[in-house]
Amino acid sequence: MGAPRIGVFICHCGTNIGGIVDVPQVVEYAKSLPYVAYAAANLYTCSEEGISSIKHAIKEYDLNRVVVASCTPRTHQPLFRNACADAGLNPYLFEFVNIREHCSWIHMQNRREATEKAKELVKMGVAKARWLDAQEEFESDVYPAAMVIGGGVAGMSAALNLANQGFEVHLVEKEPELGGRLLKLNRIFTINKDPSELVESIVKAVEGHSKIRLHMPAVVKAASGYIGNFDISVDEGGKEVSFKAGVIIVATGAQVLKPELYRYGELANVLTQLDLEQRLKDGELGEFQNVVMINCVGARIPERPYCSRVCCMTAIKNAALMKEINPEAKVYVLYRDLMTYGVEFEEYYREVKEAGVRFIRYTPSNLPQVIGAERVESVRVYDELMGMELELPCDLLVLATPLIPNDDNEELSRMLKVPISDGGFFLEAHVKLRPVEFAMDGIYVGGSCRWPADIRESIAQGYAAASEAVIPLRQGLVKVEAITATVDPKICKGCGTCALVCPFDAIELKESEIRGLEGKIVSEVNTALCKGCGLCAAACPNGAVQQRGFTDIQLLSMVNALSGKR
Amino acid sequence: MQDTKEVQTEFKPKILAFCCNWCAYAGADLAGVSRFQMPTDVRVIRVMCSGRVPPELIIRALANGLDGVMILGCHPGECHYSEGNYLTRRRAHVLKRLLSYIGIEPERFQLRWVSAAEGAKFSAVVKETTDKITALGPNRWVDKR
Amino acid sequence: MGFQVYLVEKTPSIGGRMSQLDKTFPTNDCSMCILAPKMIEAGRHPNIRLLTYSEVKEVAGPPGKFRVKIRKKARFVDEEKCTGCGVCVTKCPWKVDSEFDLGLSKRKAIYTPFAQAVPNIPVIDTEHCVYFLKGTCRACEKFCEAGAINYDQEDEIIEAEVDAIILASGFDLYDPSGLEEYGYGKIKNVITAMQYERMISASGPSGGQLQRPSDGKTPKRLAFIQCVGSRDTHHKLYCSSVCCMHATKEAILANEHYPDLKAFIFYTDMRAVGKRFQEYIARAEQEYKVTYIRSRPSKITENPDNGNPIVWYEETTARTRTSMEVDMVVLCQALIPSGSTKDISDMLHLSLNDYQFVDIPDRLFHPVDTEIPGILACGFCQAPQDIPDSVVQASAAAARAAEFLSRED
Repeated sequence: MGAPRIGVFICHCGTNIGGIVDVPQVVEYAKSLPYVAYAAANLYTCSEEGISSIKHAIKEYDLNRVVVASCTPRTHQPLFRNACADAGLNPYLFEFVNIREHCSWIHMQNRREATEKAKELVKMGVAKARWLDAQEEFESDVYPAAMVIGGGVAGMSAALNLANQGFEVHLVEKEPELGGRLLKLNRIFTINKDPSELVESIVKAVEGHSKIRLHMPAVVKAASGYIGNFDISVDEGGKEVSFKAGVIIVATGAQVLKPELYRYGELANVLTQLDLEQRLKDGELGEFQNVVMINCVGARIPERPYCSRVCCMTAIKNAALMKEINPEAKVYVLYRDLMTYGVEFEEYYREVKEAGVRFIRYTPSNLPQVIGAERVESVRVYDELMGMELELPCDLLVLATPLIPNDDNEELSRMLKVPISDGGFFLEAHVKLRPVEFAMDGIYVGGSCRWPADIRESIAQGYAAASEAVIPLRQGLVKVEAITATVDPKICKGCGTCALVCPFDAIELKESEIRGLEGKIVSEVNTALCKGCGLCAAACPNGAVQQRGFTDIQLLSMVNALSGKR
Repeated sequence: MQDTKEVQTEFKPKILAFCCNWCAYAGADLAGVSRFQMPTDVRVIRVMCSGRVPPELIIRALANGLDGVMILGCHPGECHYSEGNYLTRRRAHVLKRLLSYIGIEPERFQLRWVSAAEGAKFSAVVKETTDKITALGPNRWVDKR
Repeated sequence: MGFQVYLVEKTPSIGGRMSQLDKTFPTNDCSMCILAPKMIEAGRHPNIRLLTYSEVKEVAGPPGKFRVKIRKKARFVDEEKCTGCGVCVTKCPWKVDSEFDLGLSKRKAIYTPFAQAVPNIPVIDTEHCVYFLKGTCRACEKFCEAGAINYDQEDEIIEAEVDAIILASGFDLYDPSGLEEYGYGKIKNVITAMQYERMISASGPSGGQLQRPSDGKTPKRLAFIQCVGSRDTHHKLYCSSVCCMHATKEAILANEHYPDLKAFIFYTDMRAVGKRFQEYIARAEQEYKVTYIRSRPSKITENPDNGNPIVWYEETTARTRTSMEVDMVVLCQALIPSGSTKDISDMLHLSLNDYQFVDIPDRLFHPVDTEIPGILACGFCQAPQDIPDSVVQASAAAARAAEFLSRED
């Protein structure tokens, strides 16, 4: 490329900059800087005229670096980079200097100093530009298949959605049948129908789909690689089956807690809500006259502070069902707060109250007590709202317990290198705006394995995860902005600090295969995973690790430009 | 617009501010958009994460005569790269002690958290730091060596 | 995914309700900080045609072949020429109550709704612009160096053929004036939660300072009333789902800004069902001086000497009837499906349920499908939900739309 020939464009931005900063003075100053081959002003650099002037100057003056001093890179950097690219200049040979938001707009009463500051900022930008290198964006192919772990409603929805868009899906389910926790339920709230009927059509669709390869019963044994390129091995009934996938969706669900409270496991007529569902399904419930349900059993306590979201509705649904089966029965629901959020749940709660189910609010500082020797005979509870202690006769005690993470979550998290938290649930990339993605590119999550979710929410999350997963699949490749880290193996000492510091597990220590360095342990960056934060570069003790576009020498040149030292 | 009357021979510090792209730089942009007026002594360098700034660079900057250096990043817990600012915080802690050890006033280095919505805070931090550094006087460390 | 998208937004900028919030629960992330990058991405995306200040006028045709007419309202600013420099707004002499700040501040007759608007192109409000009313002024035109002001600009009708439609028209705020017992609109220091959000917002009308309306004093005692208009047989029967959490957040923020401030939240059931929500409530109680009182106050009166609101209530767990004088009251009002939801649903022949939410026939197994194939609905327009759930539903709608479009191939 030869010596740097830098073109500098100072923007007036109408009067926004030009009205405070003496732009012509800055242009003249820029011309005096080292390696500057051309400097000019624009009224609006972002306008068609301004863009043309950049392209024209690049060609006319044989520029191999461009600096624009105007507003903020957060808006127009892509625009100016594209202008360079259009003129045949690598877009990463472009540097942005902010003399509006960071200068003219904040020093409106001080034109002389604002102009001096603008000159210094331009000097810093030019100093960095001199050290810029051409960069190519890293591209990685995406293998056009997905793996979905979990054949419950979330997993099946995700699998069907991807398969219907034409992608091959490997669905891995550890039980011998599809349907997950739904199969264990007797009824689903707001629709009083048998769940197996409802889920039948989805199961049939999954089993019959030409694009879905069902591995069942099967367990994931190993997964390595990165987005676009995962190598998976599953244990399918003793046989090892391997395949490749571009993306992975985790939808392994959760399990229901069996409590050590209220003499569950000791007395015969104490059940969890799930037990109740099974008994009802199998027709083995027997007679009852006095049902007491206790909510928040083993949840919202110091050892497990969360609310499991779905249990209030489960309890209310079953309470209503108890009344339906035996209208003479007395049914009580003992609760702390009633989580019937939204429209339908609140409506249902009202209906169930009208049907005669009684709701009693208790407080955790005064827990209900179970009275009885061989069986539960009654439940003593302090009704907070009435301010009196009640003794409720009881021949059936049903405990609403929370959903808890599956036992194999930890192992899966280690295998896939995805985080878990909040008591063992999978941790998404961002709790608000990225609820179904992991910070690790290419792996997504949905359903109760992330957080307790009911059917509607699990299915929506399954679709949502599919929606994110399909993007790399459809694009066929993954592109990474060229601000990623690099390692010079000649300098690298193999200390591993960079690998330790990387939040994305994008650096690994490996034996070098480079001629002359064979066998040397050095760091290697997986550019597909690198997010361009630069922590590694700052941590490296000898400068072997650098960040493209923010190298040590580029930053130092800006510091020196300001301090006036070499 | 009239220029303000200039006080003669007043020391004007040279202060560098490394701002992370996602929070502090955006907060600085917002301060600009909101037209919060500030002293003119701070120069911003954009980095993707405050964790990119190596302590050696800060020492170099101060050793070469800059009067103050700031790092501005996302509030702990809000780092775009999840942990970068925790690293920055740990380094800052050690750096301050090192500066003290080699005879540079540790107050010449400031680490502050500014989110993308905190234009006013950015402005306040700039004013505060400028005042502080001005009060410390010019950085004479190079001459003292 | 590679599909062409027309993104139609009624107001001059995308961003929606999240742009009005200061922080989001339970992480207390700065709302605009996490939203703005997404807005910029949407504005720049090559496959998205952003049509702001626009409304769907007509939809015809069978599922999969919808013919849509979109009315792009005239901004009177040439989008090609405008650089978003903002000089016109600075120079405009005419002030109007800001809708974005719910009347707590003023905007100009030519304006962008907020600083980070996408697109960053102002709009002239012809109902308040003196040029349009009387033919004088023209300051914006005079000062615009790019020559972008065009008073003759006309509404544009854009016709498009689309395979799928996604409805995401969000929510409006229920007007609590109807609950006369709470004195909204009469007692100055009774405000709504959204007004509070704007007040406490770092980039809001008072720069994050809590200044109560009557005298600008900083409140030392703040009361939040939950379920104002929600779970109420006289107003809305349903639960708006997010208010327990946003009140907690607002109380935490108040104490963060003013460590001596005490907040009282009057609630019925504390609905904290999401990830880390219970811990958030615990922190509010333990670290931020928030007191939860189980009660639905019967009325609010005003102390005539100092403008302090007085909350009259029964503390249900103690069964005592009492009153509490505070400095300011925040009403956590019901959230209702937006008015535009009804308009668009009528146009699309979609049914609404009793509460005007878009009807989803198979809510469990097809949570974002409306009764018409190819039309999806996500977010608050179909059910009360918070940000993560809305994001999930939006992605789910995209997935369903993609499926639909793939089938067409």
